[in-house]
Amino acid sequence: MKTLVRPFICIEGGKLMSFKNKFSTPRIRFIAIASSALLAIASFAVPTAAHAASVFKVATSAAVTTWDPVQSFSTEAFYMTNIYEPLLWKNPDGVSPEYSPALATAWTSSKDGKTWTFTLRKGATFHDGSAVNSAAVKASLLSSKSDGGAGFIWDALKTIDTPSDDTVVMNLSYAAPMDLIASSTYGAYIVSPKALAAVAKDAKYYESGKDGGSGPYTISSYKAGSSVVLTAYANHWATTKPAYPTIDISIVADGITAQQMMTSGQVDWATNIPLTSMTSLKRNNKFSVITYKSPFNYVGYFNTLRAPLNNPKVRQALSMALNYREITAVGGQGYATQARGPVPAGIYPYDPATPQYQMARAKAKSLLASAGVTNLTLKITYASENSAEARFVPLIKDAFEAIGVHADVQGILFNQQWAAAKKDPANAQDLFIVKYWPTYSDAGVDNLWSLFHSSAKPFFNLSYWKNTAYDKLVDDAIELSGSDKAAAQKLYSQAMMILYNEAPGLYLYDEAQVSVVPKKFSIPKYNINYPFSAFFAGMKLS
Amino acid sequence: MKFLRNRLSSALLVLFGASLITFTLARVIPSDPSLAYIGPKATAAEAAQLKITLGLDQPIPFQYFKYVMQTLHGNWGYSLSTKQSVLTEIAIRLPATLELIIFAMGFALLFGVTLGVYAAKYRGRFQDSLIRILAIAGVSMPAFWLGLLLQMLFAGRLVWFPATGQFDIELKYDHPITKVTGFPLFDSVITGNYHATFNGLHHMILPALTLSAYSFGLLSRMARANLLEVMSQDYVKVARAYGLSDRLIFFKLALRNALPPIVTVTGLSSAYLITGTFFVEQVYNWPGIGSFAVNSLLSIDYPAIMGITLLAAIGYLVINFIVDIIQSKLDPRVWLK
Repeated sequence: MKTLVRPFICIEGGKLMSFKNKFSTPRIRFIAIASSALLAIASFAVPTAAHAASVFKVATSAAVTTWDPVQSFSTEAFYMTNIYEPLLWKNPDGVSPEYSPALATAWTSSKDGKTWTFTLRKGATFHDGSAVNSAAVKASLLSSKSDGGAGFIWDALKTIDTPSDDTVVMNLSYAAPMDLIASSTYGAYIVSPKALAAVAKDAKYYESGKDGGSGPYTISSYKAGSSVVLTAYANHWATTKPAYPTIDISIVADGITAQQMMTSGQVDWATNIPLTSMTSLKRNNKFSVITYKSPFNYVGYFNTLRAPLNNPKVRQALSMALNYREITAVGGQGYATQARGPVPAGIYPYDPATPQYQMARAKAKSLLASAGVTNLTLKITYASENSAEARFVPLIKDAFEAIGVHADVQGILFNQQWAAAKKDPANAQDLFIVKYWPTYSDAGVDNLWSLFHSSAKPFFNLSYWKNTAYDKLVDDAIELSGSDKAAAQKLYSQAMMILYNEAPGLYLYDEAQVSVVPKKFSIPKYNINYPFSAFFAGMKLS
Repeated sequence: MKFLRNRLSSALLVLFGASLITFTLARVIPSDPSLAYIGPKATAAEAAQLKITLGLDQPIPFQYFKYVMQTLHGNWGYSLSTKQSVLTEIAIRLPATLELIIFAMGFALLFGVTLGVYAAKYRGRFQDSLIRILAIAGVSMPAFWLGLLLQMLFAGRLVWFPATGQFDIELKYDHPITKVTGFPLFDSVITGNYHATFNGLHHMILPALTLSAYSFGLLSRMARANLLEVMSQDYVKVARAYGLSDRLIFFKLALRNALPPIVTVTGLSSAYLITGTFFVEQVYNWPGIGSFAVNSLLSIDYPAIMGITLLAAIGYLVINFIVDIIQSKLDPRVWLK
């Protein structure tokens, strides 16, 4: 093209020419009309033809930290549970039976809980065509135990025997609930031996979107941070094939944007919609707003290394200053309940008898006075990217002010908040607000141990609290939970009483999971045991 | 030659300064890269091992030296979030951002200069006031806020435009675009996939309008002010005294002399658009550099942040260089300076 006419610049043969004769009212008028026409054409352009009914479109904020099923320990679980399968699936709380068969169809344990035998499903294959057999299961579990992001869940596993192609025997060093562990959302996927060998040679093997699973879907396309396309695996063992052979997932960091995509019809379903949008979505007759229990729980850690927070009376006083009803309403937007300790309702070993602190500011003031506390100033940190924390933390500050304690609030990115808390505990924050959830459906092994069990170096125990009685109760309960769950529950309940009395943390609220479901579709119910996952094989038109 | 040499050496100095400041800031803020790399539940041992693997256990000056050497050899590091090469990530996303910037600048020039001229011509009248209000709104309204408003009105309520994305999701199944240059909209035109072209234009309108708002405001005010200033010059009065028509004076004499400052502002606005895309792409889920930058900042993905900062700095320098050349064509005194 030799001549290019722009509104006020004319280039001919690559040279800027005189503007003489290039401008006139008709020319401007022409440009204005032309651009208006372009806008009009674009505005009323017919959208693409109705796509094949085989594609289900999803918008989610679930980022992919890794595609390696052994390393996976984050929000990629949203996809992973469609691509990989564990030996068992754990059903939601209250559903009987407690487990559904996945790659194992039967399982038994010895009386002492130290030997578990799993019978594998016949005819199951990996996406690369190889058979799911006992050797593959053994290789997967050993790889998870030694290299996995959640490898610690297999701590009790001593050896694995494979007496036949379809039998796996797990020998444990102490009794552990292997049915629960084998159904974990992290670290329990069975992976093709070919994929395990490939990743041993090339650590980045999975990162372009390859997989080694046996699940109902396989990855057909992945654009990092942008989109994932899953296609149905034709040789999957299930007799009922997915209604949607293609799942097209847009990774959308912002919840409001995902909501706009769903309400405007760009996608069929969106997850992670902000709670603040629920009121308006409830009024929209195209969607149902459904509430479930979730494993997410908000806790505040007091820095117990520093005076006066090393005094349980002061911590109790601060716990009594809070208006829990207000915090729950503002933070959870009506989709939350006050917590009973750090174990969320619906997750073992939750105990409804665990007491809760209630607002009692007069008593709080007298406790502070009896502890000799005056002119106390606390530094509170929270994760700025968490909108719920941003909403309710000012209420904590106000509550403290009401009993004469001043608070400086600092909202920073979680990884900065966490790094600062681990680096120098003695000079770190006074109160650390965190949203926590268990790695698998055992908040005894995780929440109670990780958050408050003493440790040489702080990791998730960011109250830096040390209590030998508490440690012993939790350690004993963990050992018992594989053989005598009821006895373990008693010990856990005692441990939670210590947490209540000693108050190393503020126990704020259990967050509910709120799903917005288009009435046009039938979407599988949320499963508290797989909090980040969506099960696409069960999606269909209503 | 001397002019070019001076520009090049100052550009290198700017790039060095930008890389040093960003690198130092990325290293001194307290953060844990293991969170971005292996997830929020990474164990202490994994986090410690990762620091060794990524070389974060080395002294900072050594890390910076290594970074500079690798960058000069075309290795911009690996994103902690996506595990892909930063340069690859940028290469994948840059075409979408450039298409957005080109359209936004096109809108800003078209509407900004046209309406600025119009406002100058009808100075003090209703049209002038209306354009002034639009210009002030464009300059003062944050892009993410304007983006959300436009999205809610035109995508949510009126459903005239799609809410997000560069194309409809179905397009890749019904009318896939054949990759030629990597610029999807341009490729759709040259491969004759007009369905995709129209679909892409349909998706382009809202984000491009949002991104152009600031530049539009600036350009329209600048065009109006410069034209009015030129119109008050003696030579214009002389032309009037000679009996030349207002239209002739306005468009043939005044406008050209009012252009150089407008070109400067256009250049600066174009450079602003590079970082302006950060917010706009986030709101519209545009698959470009901007959304990648925001996600990298939120996860403290420092290799990606460094790469994007370097790219933005290069972008600024190139645009400023182009503006200088255009200025010199319009006004030869620029070369002498």
